[in-house]
Amino acid sequence: MSIATTIVKSTPVFGKMFAVDKSTGLEEINAWPALMIMSSFVWLVVAGLLGLVMPATQIFDLSSDHFYTTLTLHGAALTFPFSFQLMMGVGLHRSGGCVGKAITGWLPALAWLSMNLGAAILTVAVLMGLKVSVVVMFPLPLVGAQMGVWSMESVIVGFTGIYLVLACMILWYPLLVLKMMFFGKKRAELILSERSLNEPGMLGMLLAAATLLLTGLPLVVVGTTLVLALYKVIPMSLAAWAADPVVFQYTFYLFAHNLMEAMALMVASAMYATLPLYLADGSRKLYSEKLANLALWVLLVTSVTSGLHHFITFYPNQPAALSYWGNIMSWGTGMGAAISIFTILATIWQHGLKAEPGIIAVLVGWALYILDGASAIVTSNIAWTYQLHGTMWQSGHFMTVVLSMSMMWMGVLYHHYPVLTGRKLDPALGYLYVKMISVGSLGAAIVMLAGGAAGMPRRFADWHPEGWMLYGNLILAFGLILGASFAVYFYNLMKSREISAPMGELARA
Amino acid sequence: MAMLDYVYTGWGAFWVTMFMFVPFALMAYWVIRRKSLVDTGPTQLQPSEFAPIEGVWMTFAFIFFVVANLASLKYIPWAAASGTTNGEPEIQVDFTAKSWAYDISNRQIEAGKPVRFSGRSSDTQHGFAVYHPDGRVLFTMLMMPGTTKPTSVVYTFKDPGKYAVRCLEYCGVAHHRMQDELTVVKAN
Repeated sequence: MSIATTIVKSTPVFGKMFAVDKSTGLEEINAWPALMIMSSFVWLVVAGLLGLVMPATQIFDLSSDHFYTTLTLHGAALTFPFSFQLMMGVGLHRSGGCVGKAITGWLPALAWLSMNLGAAILTVAVLMGLKVSVVVMFPLPLVGAQMGVWSMESVIVGFTGIYLVLACMILWYPLLVLKMMFFGKKRAELILSERSLNEPGMLGMLLAAATLLLTGLPLVVVGTTLVLALYKVIPMSLAAWAADPVVFQYTFYLFAHNLMEAMALMVASAMYATLPLYLADGSRKLYSEKLANLALWVLLVTSVTSGLHHFITFYPNQPAALSYWGNIMSWGTGMGAAISIFTILATIWQHGLKAEPGIIAVLVGWALYILDGASAIVTSNIAWTYQLHGTMWQSGHFMTVVLSMSMMWMGVLYHHYPVLTGRKLDPALGYLYVKMISVGSLGAAIVMLAGGAAGMPRRFADWHPEGWMLYGNLILAFGLILGASFAVYFYNLMKSREISAPMGELARA
Repeated sequence: MAMLDYVYTGWGAFWVTMFMFVPFALMAYWVIRRKSLVDTGPTQLQPSEFAPIEGVWMTFAFIFFVVANLASLKYIPWAAASGTTNGEPEIQVDFTAKSWAYDISNRQIEAGKPVRFSGRSSDTQHGFAVYHPDGRVLFTMLMMPGTTKPTSVVYTFKDPGKYAVRCLEYCGVAHHRMQDELTVVKAN
């Protein structure tokens, strides 16, 4: 029995939801993804509870320290160990079944351990006092320690955690995907739905892995230098170049921006692979695979340098030419989205749709992603960003991109769940989840964008001036609906029932 | 022109986003509902018949994107500055941001005169966002420590009144208290 299977089996509550089906001979592609998906949902619960604390500190006038502690933990838990890990688990399961290769050995174990241990260590650091938000805001960690707001020990512990999380996203996961695609022996018994790299369902996985690896390597160099200096392996004078705020911030955003784009590529790829399986006429064909691939390439080419839009208000330290470039490339990603909108709707129009909760969740998540894309390109425009940067608009954009992708992966998981566990989910509960998460996520996104339009600052522990509490209360209301939708999703996983037919046959059907 | 002035504000950004999203959402809902509940069979349209729709859609998206960005050029602070100064000397306001306060060289400004705000940070990342008395963000600036040049914006205030200044870059546990105020008075 795989160690991953054992860990899942011995985990209380969540273990029951993801107990791996060993009867089908597919444990080699099921075990590690099941553990990653289960772990991601544990972090979702943590992130959800922390998310509630932020408005609670406003409503009950609690210390702003609580607000900034939960702000940092909520953002970090939602983005990395929940959203990225969910994508990693479902994405690997999909790839394994597409190329017929086992997800075993030290690499998946390292990826899982690096992500979860790193996130746990970062949590400890934040509880020790380190409140630096999900994007670190360098050189805030060092300045806070110098000012005595938090200890240098918490900075060292925090950077260790961040480093491990980054190692998972930049090194272990991309290497695992590339290894599966180009190395190792294909095994016929593990192939569930064979796909080639020419198909959008696999191309997106490859492009995303390459993006993470290439855009993340500079951050690995900077991060390694800083961590070595913090542990006094090298003198701080040798790390001065990496500790320069401009160097750190540009390196960080080159990766952080492309992390989101890579996750978008992966989820778009998963959608292009999943939608054909639910077409009413059974044709299993997209309207045009060439157009779908073009959308992925446009997204990749435009997004790599569009992250310069993060520093538009830094003018003239970021030259105007680079800001214009970031502006134009950001709107270029909109052209990729326009192509994908046409491809998806034309596919459904041409072939009809077998509506099931999983694919509807994917499509609603995709619609939410389009809303996020629209808000993102608007705020990438130089004129608009001067009025929106640093407001709740950016939080709305960030939350929406993470939520929409997670929603799509949770939809794709509906499709994979029977293969992973040998159990099926209740469609009525599935539809209830889709309705609730649609209302909660759309409502929260629109209110956060409106709050930003009204000038409500992000990461700001005082919502009382200028009437911003109204937006805060509405965000809380929609957040509660979101939380309830996740509870329904978990309840469905808990009460899933055994499928009588052999899963090996069903999985390949 | 007044409409464009509104479009390139925070609320204008909101409505432009909704302009892109709402028609898409309605169309997607209609297509998905129709082809999953009402008429689930394949549609007897040949791929060649889709091509004109594809062409129109992509052309519309491209033109909209180009127009939205070209029209915004006038509202880019550094581009707008060259038009508003009109040869008139700029009033210089220098400031330094340090956790969690601003040191501002001049807090009283005359309406109608171009003001160049030049700011630096002496410790960590900070913002400098100026709010109109009606609550709108007029502009925001990002400062990082260690830069050779200050971050800079030219802005011409129209309305007299008290303008709040807030830090919009998270800078630590008292970030929300990093605030100041500018007073804009009628020109002599």
